[in-house]
Amino acid sequence: MDANVRELSYAQAIQEAMAIAMEQDERVFLMGEDIGVYGGAFQVTGDLVHRFGEDRVMDTPISELGGAGVAVGAALTGMRPIFEFQFSDFATLAMEQIVNQAAKIRYMLGGNVSVPLVMRFPAGSGTGAAAQHSQSLEAWLAHVPGLKVVQPSTPHDAKGLLLAAVADPDPVMIFEHKLLYKMKGPVPEGYYTVPIGKAETRRQGRDLTIVATAIMVHKSLDAAAQLAEEGIDVEVIDLRSLRPMDTPAIIESVKKTSRLLCVYEGVKTLGIGAEVSAAIAESEAFDYLDAPVMRLGGAESPLPYNPDLEKAAVPQVPDIVAAARKLVRKEA
Amino acid sequence: MPTEVILPRVDMDMSTGKVSKWFVEENAKVEKGQVIFEIETDKAAMEIEAPVSGIIRDVTGEEGKEVPVGSVVAMIYGENEAYTAPAAPAEAAPAQAAGGPVQAAPGAPIDIPTATDAPAEPSYSAPSTPPGSSLAAQAPEREPAPADSHGIRATPLARRLARERGIELSRLRGSGPRGRIQHSDVLEHVSARGASSETRPAAPAEHSSSRAPAASSGPREAGALNRVWLRQGTGTPLVLIHGFGSDLNSWRPLLVSMPADRPILGIDLPGHGRSPLTSESTLDDLAASVIDTLLEEGVESLHLIGHSLGSAVAATAAAQSQLDIRSLMLLSPAGLGPDMNGAFISGFLRATSEASLAPWVRELAFEESSLGPSFVSATLRARNGTLTQSQEQLAARLFPDGTQSFTIRHLLENFDWPVKVVYGTEDRIIPARHAAGLPGTVAVHLFPATGHMPQIEQRHAIGRLAAELARLG
Repeated sequence: MDANVRELSYAQAIQEAMAIAMEQDERVFLMGEDIGVYGGAFQVTGDLVHRFGEDRVMDTPISELGGAGVAVGAALTGMRPIFEFQFSDFATLAMEQIVNQAAKIRYMLGGNVSVPLVMRFPAGSGTGAAAQHSQSLEAWLAHVPGLKVVQPSTPHDAKGLLLAAVADPDPVMIFEHKLLYKMKGPVPEGYYTVPIGKAETRRQGRDLTIVATAIMVHKSLDAAAQLAEEGIDVEVIDLRSLRPMDTPAIIESVKKTSRLLCVYEGVKTLGIGAEVSAAIAESEAFDYLDAPVMRLGGAESPLPYNPDLEKAAVPQVPDIVAAARKLVRKEA
Repeated sequence: MPTEVILPRVDMDMSTGKVSKWFVEENAKVEKGQVIFEIETDKAAMEIEAPVSGIIRDVTGEEGKEVPVGSVVAMIYGENEAYTAPAAPAEAAPAQAAGGPVQAAPGAPIDIPTATDAPAEPSYSAPSTPPGSSLAAQAPEREPAPADSHGIRATPLARRLARERGIELSRLRGSGPRGRIQHSDVLEHVSARGASSETRPAAPAEHSSSRAPAASSGPREAGALNRVWLRQGTGTPLVLIHGFGSDLNSWRPLLVSMPADRPILGIDLPGHGRSPLTSESTLDDLAASVIDTLLEEGVESLHLIGHSLGSAVAATAAAQSQLDIRSLMLLSPAGLGPDMNGAFISGFLRATSEASLAPWVRELAFEESSLGPSFVSATLRARNGTLTQSQEQLAARLFPDGTQSFTIRHLLENFDWPVKVVYGTEDRIIPARHAAGLPGTVAVHLFPATGHMPQIEQRHAIGRLAAELARLG
């Protein structure tokens, strides 16, 4: 990477991306609850209101449906809104605007307009915020043609994917794992984008492919380091984009390793893992499988408030290690 | 009165099962208690004994075919009992339904060819053949038709490889969960017998070997060594040769530290890992098989890295000049002095449990925690009797009386590419002082607080040294 690379937190990287977008393009503005002087529920917008003013960093009333509707309308008229939800769980309140309007309008109007809208969703468990503020609903939105859905796992990708989202002519949904906000990592200065729809191989390996998203990428890398000690060589693919999904990258990896484990925090059933598994089963990689495809996902239950139960409800490093061992079992 | 042999119920919720293998043939004499067939359920395989002594006939339970519990799969006749071949498919013998009626005179004993003489084709394709061969076609097939592979548990990869190589899955023994046939089982089959055996009828002796392939007698056929591209990449590859008693998988922990994007090839030494066993045991022989393997793999230019005995093999191979060696890194090399920890070799080889192996593994590293319990269990898992036996023979030749009987010291002087020698100063297997007195052109790297496994104990530093060498091209 050229330019100057600094250590920034994931939240700082997003804030920097939004600032760059607003500096470059006056059509870009931010909307959301408490994103002004309060700085956002997770302090992602921070002091941007002081730099760009209340016209471009707009606090909205507590109505996700209303706010999303304004954002869709603004995008239709040529603006480039970035809309923040306080918690991704509240996407439920705005589904009409996201699913029936933002995703469809380009198609309904014969391609004459588009909706260049960015929505940011703080997601995931681990903060003790209980069942209504801890879900991972990214697969819901990824099911809708007309939307693009990304899940950056590093500060670098958080900035690059947000800038790519702003530049994209269609609605892009960004799911940000709350536990990642404080994670630090190298982030280049200035403008750059990370392509939407491209997975990233975080670690090369020969024995097993782990396809992971968001915070599960880091848990999978920790598990891979442990597994290396016992001679199990794991490849970790960070999916990054759910729609469009980089299926070719997964296929290539599985053809190399012959084994696939999907790790994601959303509820296991009918989730990301189902899609990844089916994509492999339908591809030429099927004939390379030397073990059943396996999924590790969230428990089939609302997320518990109790911290121990909350941990137990989503995949952790030892779960990944155990699953990998089972799949790679080399001798009987 | 003949005795029925039925498919028994071997667990509570079993309603069907299948004969996975017959160990006797039609018309064979069996003793009460003799194992006559093996059945397979969802959960287990189990051997079934003959209920009485006598002659086994009407073997109808086809291998691999699901039948209800309680089905008659064969009959056992008294030795002098007259045999009447069934004239029509009996309800209790569903497998017979596919066969044509046997036109034998009632009461007359008939001469039945053995299964191995008969073509393994479905009997319905030969409706007008003489009675003898028609019956023979129903005899237990040691080599079921490919269609039977549908009932066999095998991974897609194993199925594809078997298909491509013309191997019938029914001939393979699955080592995976619930007897699943995996990639490694196909490879083992290929290397153990060669693809040519596919068309050979199974002789009775082969049953025992197919049930315990690793225990079959004698070394596996000599040939090129097992090698694995541990990483794909571009540029001149790095080739890794492990130490005594180890295998190529031992390099995996180091991979993350190795120069990115370089292809990395691991080779199993003869008598180690998945390479053929060896009767050759001089250093030159080991080096020659490494060279052959590299040439077969199309690797001519390379950076060569060895550990311990693998270092001595690497140096010897490098000296033969058939290869374009770009650099040589010798980790804890053997062959630089006579003394070594002989007790380690014998103790390590004799250990058969975690309890006896762990203390020897602790000798390998300076920090005990560097090689944890998983290293011990992985080492044990990789062992089997014939491998260990082969390694004992190798040790007896190379390290007689706990002495390093060979030297590579004279070779190092002539190398005109970069050579690095790496020792941990606390190496308890081969003393680091062997690094003294090497030619001035050889770089010596001594790591304090490090034992015999610098590639694990100092993996980042070793990766860095490898990167330095790889940068040379």
